[in-house]
Amino acid sequence: MHVNLSHMLRRDPWFLTGMILTLFFLMVTFLGPFLAPFSPWNMDFVPLSPPSSTHLLGVNDGGQDIFSELLYAVRNTFFFGMISASTALFLGVLIGALAGWFGGVADLILMRLADVLLATPAIMILILVAALFRPSPHILALILAGLMWPTIGKTIRSQTLSLKQSLHVRAARQMGGGSAYVISRHLIPEMFPLYLIGFAAKARMAMFMEAALAFLGLLDPSRKSLGMMISYALQYYYMDIWWHWLFPPILCLSLLIMMVTFLAISLEKVVDPRLRVNLPGRLS
Amino acid sequence: MQGGAKEKRFFRSDLGLVATFCLAALVMSWISYALPRFLPGDFVTATYGASQVTLTAQEEAALRADQEPQGGFGHYLWRLARFDWGYSYVFNTPVSVLFLGALPWTLLLMGSAHIISMVIGFVAGVEAAWRRNSAIEKGMVGGMTVLEGIPEICTGVILLFVFALQLQWFPTAGAETAYGEPGFLGHMADVVRHLALPLGTLVLAYFPGNFLLTRNSMVMVIMADYINTARAKGLPPLRIRYVHAARNALLPVVNRFGIRLAFMITGALVVERINSYPGVGTLLYNAIAARDLPVIQMVVLMSSLIILAVFFALEWAYRIIDPRIRHAR
Repeated sequence: MHVNLSHMLRRDPWFLTGMILTLFFLMVTFLGPFLAPFSPWNMDFVPLSPPSSTHLLGVNDGGQDIFSELLYAVRNTFFFGMISASTALFLGVLIGALAGWFGGVADLILMRLADVLLATPAIMILILVAALFRPSPHILALILAGLMWPTIGKTIRSQTLSLKQSLHVRAARQMGGGSAYVISRHLIPEMFPLYLIGFAAKARMAMFMEAALAFLGLLDPSRKSLGMMISYALQYYYMDIWWHWLFPPILCLSLLIMMVTFLAISLEKVVDPRLRVNLPGRLS
Repeated sequence: MQGGAKEKRFFRSDLGLVATFCLAALVMSWISYALPRFLPGDFVTATYGASQVTLTAQEEAALRADQEPQGGFGHYLWRLARFDWGYSYVFNTPVSVLFLGALPWTLLLMGSAHIISMVIGFVAGVEAAWRRNSAIEKGMVGGMTVLEGIPEICTGVILLFVFALQLQWFPTAGAETAYGEPGFLGHMADVVRHLALPLGTLVLAYFPGNFLLTRNSMVMVIMADYINTARAKGLPPLRIRYVHAARNALLPVVNRFGIRLAFMITGALVVERINSYPGVGTLLYNAIAARDLPVIQMVVLMSSLIILAVFFALEWAYRIIDPRIRHAR
């Protein structure tokens, strides 16, 4: 499963595009505050002025520099996706491996819980929580992770069930390896490629959710976000703000979602042997 | 990232299926019942303190009587069943009237978007898989992968810009012209013209997923032996494709649809707001903007229950169309 993985991935144009986008956004995320010419909360400039040499993308209705806003917004959306996806991955792998390995009542309860969560529309719970309590985005990211681990958990569980029968796991058991040892040394490393797919798919979902929540006005308005920028700019749709105010956040959001989509699709194609026929796969 | 068809099913028995969905519905109802009770302080002050509405003393007393916990969760469920969903002081209307007024537009939009994208996506996927490795197929798969990466917010705004503002083919907002066209046909044409942009956005968002899913499951199916048999019998290709192969390729598409549904609903909320379509999404948006809690609470709960019902129906349909499950009983 692992031997040819990196080799095959390196030849896949979708994976390469995804990686280039990832590098680009990592750079924006970490260098953003240094690249931004102004503070995105500084409201000193002439509202609604068009792009100029000082304000690359002009100024918004509140007198804030749009380019600086954009850098911070990308950073926030990116972080939200990473926090939510990594927590969901952690929960999914932990629960899936435990349920698959121990079986019995624990398995039954955990998988029934996963079924219930799969059927519940996550966005609705997020909207309710965000509207009632106005929590910080990090809390929302964690709640989202708590709602979207089941797809990962189920995959990991079924993979654990089949790995349980494999020779090296049985050998490890024979030599007296305990559950903790086998799970941490054999099961969890063995399933590594599956984590990447799960992570990319969940990051996609989380970033999309963050943009939608911000767009609907459910996140803290002082926190810069791509969805919120689009929502504000859309209120001035009849004016000449399309090219410098509305399209930049749209482009960034699309590129962010494309980045994770491409990674997920190419990883799925390479990792899933049944799909190794050629060309891209699917997403949940 | 999935195993065989048997692992993909997550509900083992009919009873388990019904139990799971009842439990999910109860959990959703309980969350919408319990969360407001965790708010700091008094419900009415907490809700309307930040709202745009100023309540009269009489209204406040009525609201208090309405919202103070009385009779617990059972009473709450009974109120839900009687369509007694509370009162919106922002719109000055019962919540049930608001919701039921907005629901038909959303059902029209979502229903037609899903049907159209399902049909186009499925046919295109089947045809693409049939022409595997041709230039057309590679181009289509590439194009669809890119489209899959563009979220609804972005397609929606771009379509609005091109077709409503630049070309002015379609209206920018609403679902029908106020005091508009006389006659039934004129009215229908008006509704369709208003539907075009949000519908186009949703179709563009849903269709690539359906296409990629169908194409992948079809690629597996056409390598099966029975397809060779059908070919050897000299059946016409169209018959092999749609009667023999596509039926089996449909299974994973239906199966995955339910899981994707909860995710796709997010896009629909956003698209309604972009095109100011007077559906449930716009109702929710306005309620959020005015911090109108009873409306938010009920719109969230009722749409979740509807999504659950659709998900349940799909799971049920899947059991009926999959012969491996139908005959396994």
